[in-house]
Amino acid sequence: MGSHRRSAPLNKRNVWQPLITAAVLLAVSFLVLVPLVFLVEESLNTGDALTFPPEEFGLGNYIAMFNEDLDVLTNTVSIAIMATVMAIAIGFTLAWILTRTNVRGRALLERLMELPYYMTPLVGALAWSVLAAPKSGFFNQIWHYFGGPGDLLNVYSLVGIAWIMALFEGTVAFVMIAASMKSMDPALEESARVMGAGKLRTALTVTLPLVMPGVLGATLFVFAEMLGSFAAALVIGIPARIYVITTAIWDSTLSYPPDYGRAAAMGLALFVVMFGMLTFYRRMVSRGSFATITGKAFRPRPMNMGGWVWLLLGVCCLYIFLAVVLPIGALILTSLQRFATVILSQAQWTLGNYQMALGLGPVRTALGNSLLLGFGVATVGVLVMALIVWIIYRSTMRGRGAVEYLVMFPQAVPRMVFGLALLWAWLNIPIPIYGTLWLLALAYFTVMLPLGVRTLAGVVLQIDKSLEECARVCGASWGYQMRTVTLPLLKPGILAAWLLIFMACVRELGVSVFLMGPNAKVIAPSIISAFSSSGTELTAAMALIQTGSVVVALIILFRLTRGMTQPE
Amino acid sequence: MNRIELKDLVIRYGDTTAVNGVSFAVGRGEHVTLLGPSGCGKTTTLRSIAGLEQPVSGSISIDGQAMFDATARRNVPAEQRGVSMVFQSYAVWPHMSVFDNVAYGLRVRKKSGAEIKTAVERALDLVQMRHLADRAASKLSGGQQQRVALARAIAFSPTVVLFDEPLSNLDAKLRAEMRVELRELQRRLDITSVYVTHDQEEALAISDRVIVMNVGVIEQIGTPEEIYNSPRNRFVADFVGSANILRGHVTGPDAFTVEGGTALKFTAPHKASGRETEVAVRTAYIDVVGHNGDNQLTGNVRQRMFHGDFVQYIVECACGRLIVRRPPTNLLDEGAPVMLSFSPGHTVLLQA
Repeated sequence: MGSHRRSAPLNKRNVWQPLITAAVLLAVSFLVLVPLVFLVEESLNTGDALTFPPEEFGLGNYIAMFNEDLDVLTNTVSIAIMATVMAIAIGFTLAWILTRTNVRGRALLERLMELPYYMTPLVGALAWSVLAAPKSGFFNQIWHYFGGPGDLLNVYSLVGIAWIMALFEGTVAFVMIAASMKSMDPALEESARVMGAGKLRTALTVTLPLVMPGVLGATLFVFAEMLGSFAAALVIGIPARIYVITTAIWDSTLSYPPDYGRAAAMGLALFVVMFGMLTFYRRMVSRGSFATITGKAFRPRPMNMGGWVWLLLGVCCLYIFLAVVLPIGALILTSLQRFATVILSQAQWTLGNYQMALGLGPVRTALGNSLLLGFGVATVGVLVMALIVWIIYRSTMRGRGAVEYLVMFPQAVPRMVFGLALLWAWLNIPIPIYGTLWLLALAYFTVMLPLGVRTLAGVVLQIDKSLEECARVCGASWGYQMRTVTLPLLKPGILAAWLLIFMACVRELGVSVFLMGPNAKVIAPSIISAFSSSGTELTAAMALIQTGSVVVALIILFRLTRGMTQPE
Repeated sequence: MNRIELKDLVIRYGDTTAVNGVSFAVGRGEHVTLLGPSGCGKTTTLRSIAGLEQPVSGSISIDGQAMFDATARRNVPAEQRGVSMVFQSYAVWPHMSVFDNVAYGLRVRKKSGAEIKTAVERALDLVQMRHLADRAASKLSGGQQQRVALARAIAFSPTVVLFDEPLSNLDAKLRAEMRVELRELQRRLDITSVYVTHDQEEALAISDRVIVMNVGVIEQIGTPEEIYNSPRNRFVADFVGSANILRGHVTGPDAFTVEGGTALKFTAPHKASGRETEVAVRTAYIDVVGHNGDNQLTGNVRQRMFHGDFVQYIVECACGRLIVRRPPTNLLDEGAPVMLSFSPGHTVLLQA
């Protein structure tokens, strides 16, 4: 049979598709899996931590974690629990107000809820240290000014760290709970009302049980995220000598000689716990125990709250105030003074901090490098990710499931653990790019894979396949179809993915702290080192400059997505 | 010569066989409909004619040219087959104007600006959409999008147009209107069409021939009248129109004894083997007044349901319940005794 090969092959693409798919599969597994293999090997290294390959293997690093770092583990768990409780309480309240009541301006408020997430926990932590550090914090300054004894607030504490994490990393709780409330068929509540149940009874017997699985899922998810949270614990925890597992990992790579074995063991333990929780969460979701989630978005009929509306609106505004207005205000105030004070009569105003931030060689290079990486990674990344998305969702190649699993994998690894894995891998891989921007670019691309692929996939899946097929049937070649139909339809999605990746690169911390070299500094770790070495005033200016560049990208993104969701 | 010819087509998705050995031919200017329940392979068959699905075996030829031939390892890509298609989702490109949508096939074929303008306007006139030529496609209603999709499919004067359930997303009234227009359009243009639908009424109304499919194979091919009046088997009798299936057995050269003992005279569209156990009688062909020479059954009206255009009775007979549809005049009361009568020509022996 195989000898009849006279006319054109059955399908020309059949030759290219497996090749490209295999190449992508190889490249992605090299980027995603190899670092983790290195990490596992190092965690079992009980000999000299710096030799590679290890000479002695054992479980010593894991055992040491429970023998010597028990306080770190208890800190980690107690901060994560507190942060989760706060995040869920905030998220549940706001989600309920914004989806189920008739508070005005809900669409705008919902948009504003995203802001703390974009501000980043790093900036949030800096701002709250300015606001509530013992003695020098603005709240405490005012308290002392009016003769109060001691400190009013102290953010350098377990609760303080948890508070910052909840405020700036807990946004996802709001998003998830709001989604489960939105996807509930209002008829379920209405039928309870029709049967004669009052508002309260309906809420207790129908609404709450239906929303509960969503809330539990969000709790699990947020708790896993909080275990791996890094920025707040780094900025606030280290000066306060409160170590959690992520900062303990960071700390053991700084000691001399660096104890990579121990760091690797802790990182892997964290990864396994988080991965387990997230897997359990996915199971729970896909098992369909979420009776409310039908995939269909309902328009919930908002409850009329009467005079309570103003109180509820106040609650929303209070959150925005605490998580956005107050922190940004404090940073602006600090950045414009020689010595940060909230007692304005004593203030010495200056623009010197900005001059210094932009004029100081290292800071300026760091900012420049971050922007350069953002542009480069976003531009090249979007093209490669578009190809990957096409393979996963539009081709019929074998192995596309594996590609999808691999590109989504970095999402399951705590960012800073992935940074550690990359550090150890590239110290030992004989390609000399450690300490250069190239490695940072490669690392950014790897950790941005889930974000970019998910964003692009969302757009690709919205484009009905028949739009492309119709072009072919009309006689268009593949290239002509791509140029006239596919790419124009993809354009808004590609731009959105580009901006999201750009923003994520400019604010990247977890991977950067490990991979930054003396000649390849980037902005987020530089802000942290400025915070520990120079004053808060300079740090505030730097943080605002970084936030500013993210905000510009964000404004463009909002413009774009508004154009996308509204019918033209 | 046949315009389109399919031979022993087999199409698989992984382990499932969507189309399992389908063969048929469509003559020049003929309008053929593939009819069947969802998942019967009708759309897959249509898409393979367009070149959007690749069969594993069999062949497809258009105007005598092989478009797909598994043994010769030949598969002409969709864009080179010269057929046109109207998609179920319309697939009207939202980022283009109505004019640009309709002009697409002409631009691909590198026609001059003047030619394009004339052809697009002619196509838009045919679907009465000329006044909306400059409108953005994203601002059209469902019915308008459907017209644009139609205009786009015929604008470049293709000889073959494929329709993939083009009316299924329209509401009932608009669907009935579009059906009339489509039939009109088919007559006016010199095209050959293959149409896919799961709506048996639509299939009967707009086709020269109907191909009834089920689970990947063809059950029957015939004119709408043949399919309706002489269903070959139980599936066709059941799926097209409404029919009573009476169980029993063949007791003579033209006698079929139903449960309860009454012998009915029948016709057989195929050669009767004697092992058949079912006859079909269309609900519309049963009268409630006795006629000489007809098959007759006695029973009681169990339920009367007024539908407007007709009245449906459920009649309890010795051989089971029969559904009878009559014009809405001289209504029978529930509980009344009734004598059902239907001609032997409408008593169709179904293949075992």
